[in-house]
Amino acid sequence: MFVCLCTGATSQMVADAVAAGASTTKDVALACGAGADCGRCRGTVRAILDSAATD
Amino acid sequence: MTNDIHSMVIASDYRVPDPSRVWPLLERNKTALADIGAHHVLVYTSTHDYGRVLVMIGVHSREPIVELLRSRVFFDWFDAAGVEDIPAVFAGEIIDRFVAEAQSPPGAPGVVVAAIASVDDVSTLSEEVRLAMDRFIAAGVRKTWVFQAFDDEHEVLILSEFPDEDGARHWIDHPDAAAQWMTRPGAGAYPPLFVGRIFDIMRIEP
Repeated sequence: MFVCLCTGATSQMVADAVAAGASTTKDVALACGAGADCGRCRGTVRAILDSAATD
Repeated sequence: MTNDIHSMVIASDYRVPDPSRVWPLLERNKTALADIGAHHVLVYTSTHDYGRVLVMIGVHSREPIVELLRSRVFFDWFDAAGVEDIPAVFAGEIIDRFVAEAQSPPGAPGVVVAAIASVDDVSTLSEEVRLAMDRFIAAGVRKTWVFQAFDDEHEVLILSEFPDEDGARHWIDHPDAAAQWMTRPGAGAYPPLFVGRIFDIMRIEP
C-alpha cells in the first residue's frame, strides 16, 4: 500500500526501514521519506512499527 | 513517462466524522476526479462500524501512480471529508473476477466483505479460488473480485459479495481454505476486514 502520498513511500519501504533498524517515526522518515513532509501518514507508520514490534 | 493509458483502481478504507458528507463531496469533486482520469467511484459504508467507508476509484491515466496520488485531488478530498490522518492507499489492477451464475434475486445489492492482505502467490490464489468455486457458491459467495497491487506483487484487495449480512458473517467466521486472505488483514498498514454495503456508484464522463 502507498503509505505516504507526499513521497510515494510504500508499506514495503517502511517495513524495510523497520527491518533495517528504524524504531521511531522519525527514523522511518529519515530512512525512506514516509512522514517526512506533511506528517499525516505517521499513524500508519506507527501501525507498521507496532506490528513489527509484536511479531 | 510512456503514453500508455493505465487502468487502475485506487482504494482506501478510512473513517469520516459524518459518512453522509462523503457523497456530496464526491459530487463536488467530480471535475477534479475527471481531470485525473477517474471514470467510476464506488462508495461502501460499513454495516456496523459507523463512520467507516471504503472508497474505490477506477482510473484511466497516463500518469504514473505516484504522481496521481501526489496530486492535490486526494489531499483536498481528505481535507474536505474531515480526515486528519491520511490512510494507506491501495493502488492496483483487477486480475480476476469470479461470479456465481445463479443470483437470487438477480442484481440486488448484497453485503461486501473486503480484505487487503499479503498472500504467498497471487496466481496460485486465483487458481485455488477457481477450483473452490463450488464451495464458494455453497457458502453464498455471489462474486469475488481480485485486485493485485502495483507496488507489491504479494498484495491483494479482494472483495466478496454475499446476499445478506448473515452470509457475510458466517464467511468471516468460517472462511473457505482457499480464501487465505481472510486470515491476514488488520496488521501494519492493512485495515481490518471491511463489511459493508454499496452506498452509491458514480460514473464520471471524460
